[in-house]
Amino acid sequence: MNSILGYLHSNVTPGEAGNLFWVAVYVLLVFAGVSFGVMFMNWFERKVMAHMQVRVGPMRVGPHGLLQPIADALKLIIKEDLMPANADKIVFWFAPVCVVMTAFCSFIVVPFGRTHAITDMNIGVLFMLGVSSLGVLGVIMAGWASNSHYPLMGSLRSGAQMVSYEVAMCMTVVSAVMMTSMATGTGTMSMIGIVQAQLQQHTWFAFSFFPVGFTALGVFAIAMVAETNRAPFDLPEAESELVAGFLTEYSGFRWSLFFLAEYTGMMAVSSIATTLWLGGWLRPFPNWLGGRNWDLAFSLVPGLTFLLLASFCFFFYNRMPRIRAMRANAIGLAAFGAVIAIVGIVLLLPGVRERIQDIYWFTLKVGFFMYLYVWGRTTFPRYRFDQLMSIGWKVLFPISLAVVILTALIGVRQELFALVWR
Amino acid sequence: MKFIELVKKFFMIDLLKGLFVTFSHQNPADLVTEQYPQERPVISDRFRGQPRLLKDAAGRTLCTACGSCALACPEKLIKIGSLRDPETKKKVLTSFDYDLSRCMFCGLCEEACPTHSLRLSSEYELALYTREGMELDLDKLENGIPRKEYER
Repeated sequence: MNSILGYLHSNVTPGEAGNLFWVAVYVLLVFAGVSFGVMFMNWFERKVMAHMQVRVGPMRVGPHGLLQPIADALKLIIKEDLMPANADKIVFWFAPVCVVMTAFCSFIVVPFGRTHAITDMNIGVLFMLGVSSLGVLGVIMAGWASNSHYPLMGSLRSGAQMVSYEVAMCMTVVSAVMMTSMATGTGTMSMIGIVQAQLQQHTWFAFSFFPVGFTALGVFAIAMVAETNRAPFDLPEAESELVAGFLTEYSGFRWSLFFLAEYTGMMAVSSIATTLWLGGWLRPFPNWLGGRNWDLAFSLVPGLTFLLLASFCFFFYNRMPRIRAMRANAIGLAAFGAVIAIVGIVLLLPGVRERIQDIYWFTLKVGFFMYLYVWGRTTFPRYRFDQLMSIGWKVLFPISLAVVILTALIGVRQELFALVWR
Repeated sequence: MKFIELVKKFFMIDLLKGLFVTFSHQNPADLVTEQYPQERPVISDRFRGQPRLLKDAAGRTLCTACGSCALACPEKLIKIGSLRDPETKKKVLTSFDYDLSRCMFCGLCEEACPTHSLRLSSEYELALYTREGMELDLDKLENGIPRKEYER
């Protein structure tokens, strides 16, 4: 009991503290949070895509379609669970499990805040990249086990895609890891250590060595879209031109597991990008706008955001047509607004706001990348497979190599100059 | 010229332009979707929808049972029943059957009507659960098709 309560006053993650109880709590919280995030993304993506295409998107299930993801999940769960007669039963069963497991496992090291991570690993980035690339295995397994031509071809396609973009991705990660050594002399691969290095160096790595860090982020951002099989690189599930790839034989609950894994994977790679280049959980300008007053002002932002959202809800509640058919929706919207307002007020409490604001800033930055995903999906047409490969190997890979070399050269520029001018 | 194109390609100007276009269309004021049962479209007067028989101010039917509409109809779907009033020696309308299931809404009957009695109104919600309801009789033509109002 003492150790359970005592942890709350500590300044480390539960994994570092070795506190099993809080590890379990954090695992559950992260699982719930990420699942909720997937549901939110489902709604958000359809809404944003609809508005970009001058449509309204889901409107009928709940106020502004807020309950649409729940309805869809229910539909998928009660669908008939089909398995092809000649499929390899065990592998067919295990493929979606494998994909989901790897996608969720990578969240073990994601630092939502200094204390808000399940654990801190000294090889955090490596662990995340390694585990998330195991997802390819699930894809290949799904294609193989379906015992059908199109899924097999599709899984080979997406396997090749995921593997080849991993190269460029890892190169840019190397450049970010090299940047961590700038102030202290020794670099770190720990996710928390990387963010702390950005705090020490007074800059996000996206802006250090100016075009270099930014280019690394750009290459990573493109590679992560391809890595997670999202548009414009969504060849695995290009229903309109190719058969739905490795997903062809999957339906119902198993398919929804792939769906869950895809969105979880999107969030995982977005968190890597956030941690490596956008300062992770750090609020904007932690050093320049330092001091107690600024700390207070920034810690109020999360609560105020929620209150702003709540006021939006009430505003639209007021604008809803006063007819019988819309009454349930109107009440639902008002209730939703009330819940958000309560959350906002809780976030304004002095004890809560200091601990929560890390999570808020981290989520905001990840949300930016998620928006980018949707934005890109609406804007760009799908690439052909050979174009995709040539972008991966002929454009992104050389650029990422150049980024690594430039980072190294700029990192040791003083020593180089000393050598030359000696 | 080639150099400029290279620079454009390098900074992905075209892609950024596309991103800007999609971003700028998010404005909710741009929406053209109608939330149909709640919002209803504005129908032009020239729209040809559900046929109606009009009455005059006193509530008497304008139809003289002349049969021009039945003659004009290319589908021969109008059946008019009439009796001759022995006192005024005029035709009196007794029945007017309009088979909506065969109607193509060409509007020739409307044009043929000398008293502007028959009119294809702008009422457009004509979906039914059975074919039988599409046989419009005098009552339905004069007073409209009774419609069940659903709350949800």
